[in-house]
Amino acid sequence: MATQVLVPPLGTNVDTVTLVTWYKAEGDAVAAGEPLFAVETDKATLDVEAPAAGTLRGVSAAEGDDVPSLSCIAWIAAEGEALPDGAPTDTDEHLPARTGASPSPPHPLTPSPLHPLTPKASPWARTLAAERGIDWTLLQGTGPQGAVVGRDVEAAAQAGRRPAPTPLAARVAQERGIDLAGVGGTGASGRVTRDDVLRAVAGSEPASDIVETFALTGVRGKIAERMMRGSHETAPVTLTAEVDATALVARRKALQAAGLKVSFNDLLVCILARALGEQPRLNAVYQGDRAVVRRSVDIALAVDTDRGLLAPVLRGAERLTLAQVAEGSAALIARARSGQAGPDELKGGTFTLTNLGMFGIDAFTPIINHPECAILGVGRIKPTPWVVGDCIGIRQALWLSLTFDHRLVDGGPAARFLQSVVRGIEAPGAEDEE
Amino acid sequence: MAVMGIAEALREGIREEMRRDPTVFCIGEDIGVPGGWGGAFTVTLGLSEEFGPERIIDTPISESGFAGIAVGAAMTGMRPIADVQYGDFLFCMMDQLVNQAAKMTYMAGGAVKVPLVMRAPVGSTRRGAQHAQTLEVFFTHVPGLKVVAPSTAYDAKGLLKAAVRDDNPVLMFEHKLLYGSKGNRAEKGAVSPIGEVPEEDYIVPIGKGAIRRPGKDVTIVGKLLTVYRALGAADQLAEQGIDAEVIDPRTLVPLDKELILESVRKTHRFVVVEEDNRTHGWGAEIAAMVAEEAFWYLDAPPVRVSAPDIPPPFAPGLEELYVPSVDRVVAAVKGLF
Repeated sequence: MATQVLVPPLGTNVDTVTLVTWYKAEGDAVAAGEPLFAVETDKATLDVEAPAAGTLRGVSAAEGDDVPSLSCIAWIAAEGEALPDGAPTDTDEHLPARTGASPSPPHPLTPSPLHPLTPKASPWARTLAAERGIDWTLLQGTGPQGAVVGRDVEAAAQAGRRPAPTPLAARVAQERGIDLAGVGGTGASGRVTRDDVLRAVAGSEPASDIVETFALTGVRGKIAERMMRGSHETAPVTLTAEVDATALVARRKALQAAGLKVSFNDLLVCILARALGEQPRLNAVYQGDRAVVRRSVDIALAVDTDRGLLAPVLRGAERLTLAQVAEGSAALIARARSGQAGPDELKGGTFTLTNLGMFGIDAFTPIINHPECAILGVGRIKPTPWVVGDCIGIRQALWLSLTFDHRLVDGGPAARFLQSVVRGIEAPGAEDEE
Repeated sequence: MAVMGIAEALREGIREEMRRDPTVFCIGEDIGVPGGWGGAFTVTLGLSEEFGPERIIDTPISESGFAGIAVGAAMTGMRPIADVQYGDFLFCMMDQLVNQAAKMTYMAGGAVKVPLVMRAPVGSTRRGAQHAQTLEVFFTHVPGLKVVAPSTAYDAKGLLKAAVRDDNPVLMFEHKLLYGSKGNRAEKGAVSPIGEVPEEDYIVPIGKGAIRRPGKDVTIVGKLLTVYRALGAADQLAEQGIDAEVIDPRTLVPLDKELILESVRKTHRFVVVEEDNRTHGWGAEIAAMVAEEAFWYLDAPPVRVSAPDIPPPFAPGLEELYVPSVDRVVAAVKGLF
């Protein structure tokens, strides 16, 4: 029975790859497992190995062609074996005496040839697959001409309704002694690929070494998705500046002495609101192919909670007094920590403030809170030798890290914005007076 | 219970029906002449001694003539059992059988019955194009005729008796290689389907098939000689791990469709083996029926193993290629896996 040479599925986001090289030509003998051809995805070039031994025949894709995953691009068959795409077999049963040929008995009719690129399944396989909810196009056929037949669907149903592993994965699993039943598939419709098997090999340490496994779902999944988008879908640039925050520290002390319970973040929100007013291009969100610059300064506050990182949004900061900011943010943060923040409070910000100062972090490179344009990372305030006039004094220094999306705004405006923030920190007061 | 071959079983069936019913009589060529064979294949041997020339009627070599007599007798209340020496001669009586016997009940709105039995030996047995044809399909195509084809002694007697008692014209096809392998009319290469045949009265109902060998992997349908080819193939296939079910419909019209369909729904593969010529043949009809009514249960296309589209050859070597062999059946089945 001829074996299909299939283009392996190379992950869920790859449905077409480029055929780079054939290592074998039509008619060459191939051994099972030897490199047969190479394909290239947008990330890598990899060799695909022969799924069976025999003669390479019926090659239907050329070097440079784009070939869909799981498509059949050739066959490996015995020499002289009829290929499913072969010329129609002679269905007439002539007597040898009539043709003058050798006296071999007339051959029984073979089933009609079918196109090799069309996945084939018998009617019974289709019936069973429909009953069992199995996608037969993902199964490796073992019937006449490689057709998926009833037993293939039964086998798939017994294998926990999973699609068959790719031939390469099956062979690698056999070589490495891996039971495919325990390997999760990441290929098309959950097909187990070679990479899945190799991961399983790598991960087959004693179970006691694993402290914990958890799924990236729920809040974790949302964080993962937002972080991926922030780091992969933006053009991030980080600007840093060290600022003398002595005045800010003094200001906070004075306010607290006067009975206003205010955090550094509250002071920074007011400073940001003013700075964003001066550089409105930083108060923007990315929408499709355009940047939308917003009037309302809606500051997302990165909050470390038991459920993970949340960023509740304090809206209209440019219209709020310091006292209102302090009151609003305290309530927001409390709700986020207790899990009571509503979905509307956790989205729709225009700029994010993240502060790791309380953990002793000096500076870091925040990831943009997609689709916002920019995020300000704030480090710890620590006494630092500082040049003051002609002398060296001890000042309360603070590192700022501004990451912005260079698609939406250039370095100049971003730097000017950071300068505004620096000025606001160095000379606090006016903007937060009642 | 007596053990006998098909010729003997038919003879016993005819004898019992003639004893039971005085309207039953036999008519044909050389079926009762003293010192003769009792028909071409000994079926009526000795019956004239019990029933005399009035009920075992020998006719001249005139197929259209005695067929007309038999059809007329049936229409007027008798129950004739006619036979031809070779089925090939049925073509001489096509008008009597197809235009008259088959249609009379329809044309008379049911007022006329034609309880005729016409027996005919068929099959390739070194006799060439005019004495070795397989003729069943010419008659399975005619509405109004029932067609039976027994492949065992038990079925031969039971179907003969059922045919005699049926009010419709029934054609009974008998394979020359199945009459028996003993006696002075035994054919070369005959198989010997001898079996136990009850002495008490029984019939095999017309329209009921039989599973000759149960199996789960493929359904092979044959008739007459090809039942035995299918059984031979099933034995070989079993050694290769393929469990074939062999079905003998026994009656060709009306066909026991459900027996075949039920089997195909179980095995998902279907092969029909026929000695008939391939094109527009009996196997084509069975395969089409399976494709139409059990399509969604098939794991492979329905396949026919047939004789090629030529007259039966006279040369023994060619005849061996003409009649489907066990090897051809095995190859066809293996092509489905």
